Amino acid sequence: MKLELGKIKIKDVQFGDVTKVEGNVLYVNAKEIETLVLEDERLISAKVELAKPGESVRIAPVKDVIEPRVKVSGNGGIFPGVISKVQEVGNGRTHALVGANVITCGKIVGFQEGIIDMSGPAAKYCPFCSTYNVCIVIEPAEGLDTHDYEAAGRLAGLKAAARIGEAGRNITPDEVMSYETKPLQEQIKQYPNLPKVGYIHMLQSQGLLHDTYYYGVDAKVMLPTVMYPTEMMDGAIVSGNCVAPCDKVTTFHHLNNPVVEELYKRHGKDLNFVGVILTNENVFLADKERSSDMVAKLAEYMGLDGVLITEEGYGNPDTDLMMNCKKVSQKGIKVVLITDEFPGRDGKSQSLADAVDEADALVSCGNGNVIINFPPMDRVIGTLDYVETMIGGYEGSLKPDGSIEAELQIIIASTIANGYNCLAARGY
Amino acid sequence: MVKEIERAGIPVVHMCTVVPISLTIGANRIVPAVGIPYPLGNPLLGEEGSFKIRMKLVKKALKALETEVDGQTVFE
Repeated sequence: MKLELGKIKIKDVQFGDVTKVEGNVLYVNAKEIETLVLEDERLISAKVELAKPGESVRIAPVKDVIEPRVKVSGNGGIFPGVISKVQEVGNGRTHALVGANVITCGKIVGFQEGIIDMSGPAAKYCPFCSTYNVCIVIEPAEGLDTHDYEAAGRLAGLKAAARIGEAGRNITPDEVMSYETKPLQEQIKQYPNLPKVGYIHMLQSQGLLHDTYYYGVDAKVMLPTVMYPTEMMDGAIVSGNCVAPCDKVTTFHHLNNPVVEELYKRHGKDLNFVGVILTNENVFLADKERSSDMVAKLAEYMGLDGVLITEEGYGNPDTDLMMNCKKVSQKGIKVVLITDEFPGRDGKSQSLADAVDEADALVSCGNGNVIINFPPMDRVIGTLDYVETMIGGYEGSLKPDGSIEAELQIIIASTIANGYNCLAARGY
Repeated sequence: MVKEIERAGIPVVHMCTVVPISLTIGANRIVPAVGIPYPLGNPLLGEEGSFKIRMKLVKKALKALETEVDGQTVFE
């Protein structure tokens, strides 16, 4: 499966009469997007606001971040099984508006949506402070069930991103990347002397607003499966979850998975990236055992020499992470884990809820419990009403002047457990 | 909490849904419960069904509390 990804670099966003890209500027017809979003009768209001790097803007509570993309050639359409009809994707050509994002925000769904600052000291923790953001502030119909509100908000963002992505269909990209993974046996033969490396991608699937969808299938009813990495780049996986903001894998991150990106960079050089094993993080022990058994079986079946594993969220998913680690290791396959840590505000507690002896190689993406200060911003997109009940916030977090004191985990993607963040450790 | 109460000399049964975490933190008597969203019941089975599950699990936990253990033990 081969995908050409055309990157159209967006260097500004403005309102316009027509949604289009011209001279690397994205113009958005706000009325068009609002009308599109309000086709869903579960939402009674939608307002488009723009947020640019360096502005004194705070966006909250953020539900999802989505890069606009369009399928130019090859099978299927963006977000198959959700926005486009169910059809295999990952082949052909796709255009992405790189540097632009759709961000859904507004009245809180659960309690696990986050904050994005576009400037100031808290901005540096979030990769989306440097992108041109088309924010859609949504409001649910009165009395709407929480799960329905989540679904309506999720679809609003995906629909808007697909519509805006269309603006890139006939634009000549600034850069075209090519990614290819062949069927397993051919792929192994292509680089017979390089170590066969796979990526075990754990999807949040705890239910109760913590869900992820693969071709429209709720990951909690899915059994582990194998996928081509390029399927992700066409939106085969979308986020539908309200997991802790700091390590929420937004739809943006599924489209731009940094582990996939890095593995492709080294594909054919010092490793052979043979594919992705997709699995879930369910709330029943039997599911955890079954899924991790199947992950290990698939890793063995594919003949892998080594794997990277990422998780989404923390707490009980740490058990899924450790079970995958242990069982894959027991097949004689080398394992490296990528995760983030929650050792408490004093840093003295165990960083992960679970651990096994086999977990002897781990990349940390940061400590989500660190307390940071957010100065007031001139403009708020969405609302700060829920800051104190959001994960990372606490009583007294929101000050009368609009400044905030909260744990780092309140910021979207600040410690995301796949490495698409801005934290790094330095040894002395 | 399990460890601190046991340190004070009082035996504890940890009724938990994710047994590996309980083992990692060092609980000695572990009774597996139903699942994270509903550890001691099952809303799909209604109040009566949940009561039966709860009664069974609590009896199992009391039995575990009376049982001498030699190291970490999971009461399946």
